[in-house]
Amino acid sequence: MDFTRDILPLKNILFRTALRITMNREESEDIVQDTLLKLWERRTEMSKINNLEAFAISAVRNLALDRLALHQNKVISLNEDLHDTEDNHPSAYDNIINNERTNRIHNLINQLPEKQRTAIQLRDIEGKSYKEIADIMGISESDVKINIYRGRDFLKKNCKNL
Amino acid sequence: MNYDYIEQLIDRYFSCQTSLQEEQILRSFFNGNDVPGHLMQYVELFQYEDEAKQESLGSDFDERILSIVNEKKNVVLQPHHRFTPFFRAAAIVAIVLTIGSAADKALSDKSSHSVENSIEINPYIRQADIQNTIRIKDVSQAEARPQVDSLIVQPAENNLQ
Repeated sequence: MDFTRDILPLKNILFRTALRITMNREESEDIVQDTLLKLWERRTEMSKINNLEAFAISAVRNLALDRLALHQNKVISLNEDLHDTEDNHPSAYDNIINNERTNRIHNLINQLPEKQRTAIQLRDIEGKSYKEIADIMGISESDVKINIYRGRDFLKKNCKNL
Repeated sequence: MNYDYIEQLIDRYFSCQTSLQEEQILRSFFNGNDVPGHLMQYVELFQYEDEAKQESLGSDFDERILSIVNEKKNVVLQPHHRFTPFFRAAAIVAIVLTIGSAADKALSDKSSHSVENSIEINPYIRQADIQNTIRIKDVSQAEARPQVDSLIVQPAENNLQ
């Protein structure tokens, strides 16, 4: 297993997943770095894993959720800010999304509960199958569909108001 | 233009019945220029899905993580670190062998010394032992041939007297 060839290319999908959960760029970058280094340290075991990407996303999600639990107070205050959608200014982590309306979609997705926004992230942005998402999130395929259905329904209702 | 197919796909998308390919068709459609007014409300959603995938880490991240990995690699690959366990094992084996052979030599010296001493100090005892052995041998041979017992024993008794 080679770091540059097999592990480093996972950085962006891992970063987007972590970012969707923590909503903090620095924290997400830190999580991705920790995860990639752990994968490299345990490369002998990793070479036996069929789907390294799914394994890595799952590891990143767990780590991000752990960090969220540690910084619970920060998240609560961040969520309070996000609920105020009327005058929502682009946050520090919105470097790429410059369009104001897509930025509002970004904020709408980030208002969803974690399971819904991670499932939507993995399906609609990363293009993963329901089976892969179920494996990554450790839930059943039907639970994945329920989470995505609820998330999309919320977005659909709010799209009409944009 | 007929948008029934797209409208049908949108309905199926929101009820989680579309395949990954159909979802890609929707994204391509909403990124094009043929979106009618009544579907404009979904443009941002599907455009966002494409845009969000561009979010990525910069080259500074690569440089930083590669320097950490290379640092760890160098530590692992340094010969004296890599072979330390072998050197230790070899040293232990060498010590054991040295002590073993020294102890063996010391013991063999001691035993050969004591035999030599016994020969030097008690030459008569040894001679007597040999004579006794010969006598015992004769006796055992005599036991095996009881008919000639008296012939062998008698001269011995005469000698003792």
